[in-house]
Amino acid sequence: MELLDRYLQAIEFWLPKRQRQDIIAELSEDLRSQIEEKETELGRKLEDGEVEAVLKRCGSPLAVASRYRSQQYLIGPALFPIYQFVLAVLVIGCVVPRCLIWLGFLIADPAHSGYLHMENVLGTILYFVFFTTLAFAIIERSGVKLQGLETWSPRKLPPVRDPNRISRFGSLFEIAAAMVFNVWFVSIFWPGPAIDFYGVRITIAPVWQVFFWSFLFLAAANVAIAGVNLFRPYWTRLRASLRLVADGLGAGLFCGLLKAQVLAGISASSLPAPKAIELTNLINLWMARALPWAIVVTFVILSFDVYRIMRVRCIHLHGSSIGPAVKDLSNPMVNGN
Amino acid sequence: MSQSNGNHDLFENLRLELRRGCLSLAVLSQLRTERYGYTLRKALAEQGLEIDEGTLYPLLRRLESQGLLTSVWREEEKRNKRFYRLSPEGKLMLKQLGAEWQRINSSLNGIL
Repeated sequence: MELLDRYLQAIEFWLPKRQRQDIIAELSEDLRSQIEEKETELGRKLEDGEVEAVLKRCGSPLAVASRYRSQQYLIGPALFPIYQFVLAVLVIGCVVPRCLIWLGFLIADPAHSGYLHMENVLGTILYFVFFTTLAFAIIERSGVKLQGLETWSPRKLPPVRDPNRISRFGSLFEIAAAMVFNVWFVSIFWPGPAIDFYGVRITIAPVWQVFFWSFLFLAAANVAIAGVNLFRPYWTRLRASLRLVADGLGAGLFCGLLKAQVLAGISASSLPAPKAIELTNLINLWMARALPWAIVVTFVILSFDVYRIMRVRCIHLHGSSIGPAVKDLSNPMVNGN
Repeated sequence: MSQSNGNHDLFENLRLELRRGCLSLAVLSQLRTERYGYTLRKALAEQGLEIDEGTLYPLLRRLESQGLLTSVWREEEKRNKRFYRLSPEGKLMLKQLGAEWQRINSSLNGIL
């Protein structure tokens, strides 16, 4: 019976302390009865291989012992989806911006890409995972009832979202902001040999003309898209694609502007000439240094635009669980295509 | 091949789920008379309901902690054995669960 004793000892190790002896005595009795019954049938002692087969059929020591324990978890099923969501937001919020910034530096300014140590990211992720898990485990253990889980009502749930619907307020705001900005932009930056800005004379390189008219054209295009969105407040593939093109061109132009050394000179009555040259160079340098950050922002904006196109395409092909949105999209008055 | 394995695993999971509640009822019904674990297993197996020791003993403990069974250690055939039987609450529960089982069974017979 050495195998049986070894088996019982292995199970005992994993059992709750208070019940160990009781459980082992009962299990031992059952297994000995099984073995004795087989021996009576065969008229001889069981060989080790046969005892082993009986024990193997019973299950591994850990599996057998685990059945005597009540189900245990660090974070219960009611809290787990919230835990998962919080963890995803924290980890994505930590990793994605750092990766994008690193990528931006790698593309635009490789000499300074080592400035961001990517190995620190892993440490930060572990830090977030550890403290989030700890916080949720404490909430679970303390038995605190989350108010939302106990006192929920269908009336308090957020309204059904339609990701393809464009807020009219948003479109109006976009138009108003663009108008104000364009008036300011044209009045200050109208192409000429120089700009007078609160007593400071700023000389701009001739290449500025290209940027100025391009920015103005794009601003007008964006106002036009926002205008259509105001009256047809659902994204269509055409408008989503136009927005992608406009944002892509705008971001490309801005990145080009940062690298173009567009500032030719600065002069002011109180500014000595050598200082003015130094300041001009410094501004051009910092504009060039800002390029990686501009690339990051561009990447985020364009990713969102592409995601929007895919979402519109997906709803167009497969429909949506949101009834009213699908019906409205099929309506040519709303669709706008 | 893997789909067949997947189907088999799924069937096994659903089968275990289906059996889980039935086993409690079967065990309670067999403990109207006093039995110890091994004879209880044999009694169930003879009626076509095989149950392994790793499932039976934790179930017996759970039912006892819920007050549906009582148990006592006693020597029989020169060995200590733990004998179980229904408590008064267990008898009442068996009656209620038996009636519920009949209701579910007749509904399912109609549905299937």
